[in-house]
Amino acid sequence: MSILEQIDSVRNSFLADIESFPTKSLEIDAIRSKYIGRKGQVAQLFSQLGKAGNDERPLLGQKLNQLKNELSQLFDEKLKQVHSNTQTSEDQKLDLSLPGRKNRIGSLHILEQTLGEIKEIYRSIGFHIAYGPEVDDDYHNFTALNIPEHHPARDMQDTFFINPETVLRTHTSNVQIHLMEEEDPPIRYIVPGRVYRNEAIGYKSYCLFHQVEGIYINEKVSFAELKGCLEYFVKQMFGPKKKMRFRPSYFPFTEPSAEVDIWDEKRNQWMEILGCGMVDPAVLKNVGYDPEKWHGYAFGMGVERIAMLKYEIDDIRNFYSGDIRVLEQFI
Amino acid sequence: MIVSIDWLSEFLEIKESPNELADILSNSGLEAELNEVPLSIPGVIIGKVESTEKHPDADKLKICIVNDGRQNHQVICGASNVNSGQMIPFATVGSILPGNLKIKKAKIRGVESDGMICSERELNISDEHEGIMVLPHGLPLGKDFMEAYGKKFLSLELDVTPNRPDAFSHQGVARDLACITDRKFSPVFTEPRKVKGNESLKITMESSEDCPRYIGGIIKGVSIGPSPDWLVDRLRSVGQRSINNIVDISNFVLMEMGHPTHIFDYDKLDNKEIYVRRANEDESLITLDEQKHKLKDNHLLITDGYNPIALAGIMGGLSTAVNEGTKNLLVESAYFNPVTIRKGAKDLSMSTDASKRYERGADPNGCDAAFWRVVSLIEDLTGGELVSDAIDVYVEKINKQKIAMRKEKLELVLGITIENEIISRIFDGLGIQNDFKDDNWTCLVPTYRPDITREIDLIEEVARIYGFENIPPDYSLNGIFRFDNPDPEKFLHYIRQTLVGLGFHQVYSNSLQNEKEAGLTNNKPVGMMNPLNKEMGFLRTSLIPGLIKAADMNIKNSNNQFRIFELGHVHLLSESSLNGVDERKLLSGLIIGNIISENVHTDLEAEDLFSVKGYLSSLFENKLSMRMELDIENEDLGFELSRSITLNKQKVGRMGRISTAWIDSMNLDLEEAYGFEIDLEPIKGMLENKKTFKKIVPYPKVMRDLNLVIPEEQEVGSILEIFHKYGKKLITRSEAVNVFKEKESIGEGVKSVTFSLTFQDPSKTLEDKDVNPIIDEIIRVAEKTFNAKLRV
Repeated sequence: MSILEQIDSVRNSFLADIESFPTKSLEIDAIRSKYIGRKGQVAQLFSQLGKAGNDERPLLGQKLNQLKNELSQLFDEKLKQVHSNTQTSEDQKLDLSLPGRKNRIGSLHILEQTLGEIKEIYRSIGFHIAYGPEVDDDYHNFTALNIPEHHPARDMQDTFFINPETVLRTHTSNVQIHLMEEEDPPIRYIVPGRVYRNEAIGYKSYCLFHQVEGIYINEKVSFAELKGCLEYFVKQMFGPKKKMRFRPSYFPFTEPSAEVDIWDEKRNQWMEILGCGMVDPAVLKNVGYDPEKWHGYAFGMGVERIAMLKYEIDDIRNFYSGDIRVLEQFI
Repeated sequence: MIVSIDWLSEFLEIKESPNELADILSNSGLEAELNEVPLSIPGVIIGKVESTEKHPDADKLKICIVNDGRQNHQVICGASNVNSGQMIPFATVGSILPGNLKIKKAKIRGVESDGMICSERELNISDEHEGIMVLPHGLPLGKDFMEAYGKKFLSLELDVTPNRPDAFSHQGVARDLACITDRKFSPVFTEPRKVKGNESLKITMESSEDCPRYIGGIIKGVSIGPSPDWLVDRLRSVGQRSINNIVDISNFVLMEMGHPTHIFDYDKLDNKEIYVRRANEDESLITLDEQKHKLKDNHLLITDGYNPIALAGIMGGLSTAVNEGTKNLLVESAYFNPVTIRKGAKDLSMSTDASKRYERGADPNGCDAAFWRVVSLIEDLTGGELVSDAIDVYVEKINKQKIAMRKEKLELVLGITIENEIISRIFDGLGIQNDFKDDNWTCLVPTYRPDITREIDLIEEVARIYGFENIPPDYSLNGIFRFDNPDPEKFLHYIRQTLVGLGFHQVYSNSLQNEKEAGLTNNKPVGMMNPLNKEMGFLRTSLIPGLIKAADMNIKNSNNQFRIFELGHVHLLSESSLNGVDERKLLSGLIIGNIISENVHTDLEAEDLFSVKGYLSSLFENKLSMRMELDIENEDLGFELSRSITLNKQKVGRMGRISTAWIDSMNLDLEEAYGFEIDLEPIKGMLENKKTFKKIVPYPKVMRDLNLVIPEEQEVGSILEIFHKYGKKLITRSEAVNVFKEKESIGEGVKSVTFSLTFQDPSKTLEDKDVNPIIDEIIRVAEKTFNAKLRV
């Protein structure tokens, strides 16, 4: 048989074979290898091409390619048909509009998530994390922070007393003092934790909240660096386009002191998000650091406040109710 | 504090809009917000009441004829103080009042009303709403009210920080403002008045530490009466009501200059002298607000030599108060020790305009200026005459402080260089005398700035006025590496994440509880001396009550299947701990309802103790690679069917069904809830253990099921131990997969347990001949030890 005749015969035999196309994958594969596989009949015909004369070869090559394309195409069409046929029969039994098998999914508290973000941001610029006691003595919560006993600054924070010398800390700044008492400079920490205020409970204030304190002490630390550090924080937390401002303020333990506001587009006003400043020399002296040699900055922010601004939560009590309708919004 | 913008403009030229002013002040340390007074009220004009007559059908209403300068309008008014001849703010038809209230033509009880006569509250000028606002005469009829008069009431609300007593006055705020805007500042200056008599007054201070300075003077022949309009308006603009000319003058000077003065009715002093001393233990005084105070040594008094006549620096006494019949006055302008005043005011829970200023530090050298300001106003407005010298007892003069500021330090702290001229201008503007030599500034700080005592305080002043916005941020990362653990609580992250993966929601609950809840653990809770209320007087000793409350709250909101956990601190009294309180970190959880919510695929199955065990096992055994054991716990505190939890041989907590006793004692209603509470302190160390890789065994596993019939009361756990002991280290996993009890097929008092055993040898492929002898041995031991029978 000439190659041309063989081409016709392969085509005919293929057409006969796919007339009743099998449905089992093994049989389908058999047809594929018989004709268009690597050692199939088409491939064998190609291998005979070498024996053909030079004048015949281009035509034969063309014919063979035609055959190969034709067979592949027919085979694919049949295969597609088979697939869609089997799918239809299985599909009829399947109702995927029913719900999936669901496992219950839990959630990290939104304050935990927010705190996690805050930690992540400061970790990325070299801050370590430290923790300290919620119940502390008056000295660490006030006096060492340059808030003497009979000073109007004590009115800035309403305090719960356990006894006249012991308080529920009103800020995480007490840990600044513990850290500096225990370690030699330079130090760079953030301190997250729960703090307490003896304030009436309302949509804006609760008897406790969570704070993150930051402190960096080194030989040369400037207010300009503090601005850079906090701008980095605000833009990581609220987006690179967030408008912010530093406003002079007063805290007994920093000098100069500032408050940072961010612009709230919804309310069309500045919202205070944190307090900061250069560590007051009196504080450095209290912990035995030489204020002539060491300088530093400190800042403190409320986790609740940041979460409220970021997630548009309007009532602080939502954080402590344990209400799953709140919790599951922040999975 | 409220600051009137019109008032400020007596001290400096103001070009800014109220909003711009608020921004300027906020950006230099005096946080300011624009008060509610609207910038314009369209349609409200100056009107005059031409006549009034009673409404025919309503006793309390009047029909008024109001002249708007061009024509008359008939207006119905219900205010009792409306009278013909008054100038009034007249809201014409079409006006839009604050709160978007539109004024329309109306018929009131059958009579047409063509506009409205406004009260102060309707214009948002003050809260005053008893009666209409009566304006001074001489205002241009028909002109826009806000433009012609109302803008006087535009004001800012300032949040003055405790370090700035000087900013508690218009003069002080204006000084800052003039310094920032680099404009001329004109402070109040009053020449001393001539003395028109020869009265004298004995003034004695028992302690010049409590009262370093006291100026007193006698004025005779005043006539008490209403204040002139300008004075009433000034007080009104800062939210104060006019009382009478004398009281108003003292209040005016306080708001103007910031220095408190007090005016006694001289005739009511039993003994005509001033003696300043601490109170005796059994003394008492009734103050102007008609409160009787029991006094003690903490309280500084002004006395007439015998009896107290004022709480020094806080409030005057009622018995010597100025009233309608007063003729002769004693004017006090003094300086008291801030700490003394603070202690006294705090002790009496009083906070007055005077005490606020004295506590923060008034100006000892400002007493005379305030004295002469008050005396001049009294002479000019009330007809009184100064008949004594200004008797000024000032034992030891408090001088301006001399402070040095190094240029180098300023640049180091702020991170920028500021030109000397700018620094000098800032100091000048704040009234700080300054001199620059050899890279150092030498400054003399006025006594009205007691907050400036150190170099760093001067640096702050420079930065504040220079503007924080003008200090460019430094984005460089300085500092050093550290090699210790960057977050000692990192391990908690794994615990939280695992529980979240197991379907738990994390909750935060209040650490403050009532005594009963906080005492449920039988620990004496840490209590507060000054609790917010009875429900929050103690620190929690367990996290379970908080979880019970959260669970109850959710059930009441129709969610009755959930898993929640809390990671938080509890506080226990402990002699040996810091401040007598032991702070411990606990992990607690509570589960209730079905494991999976109602669905089309599976049957419902309720959570139970095995769920708790499963979750804990996933957390501690799988995630944290610990060995967990549960043992019967005799103490049933908090849990029923309680089991102790042991991790790596250390007892760390308990689990069980949430105790109905606890639920009942909290007056809540919760059924079939299960939970656990674990103290994390003892396992902190274990949590940090590093995981190491175990080689994967390439040889196949051999699986065998073993079905044993054992006595019903026999614990399955003990049989697992045989597998371990006799498994020749080839049993890599053994677990009970089925427990079956049925009298008919296996007999009474026994149960059939199917164990699934996995064999694997790390060095070869196991065959039957390796496995079978082990199984035979296990069966033999089980039969002997546990009376077990092989079930075939």
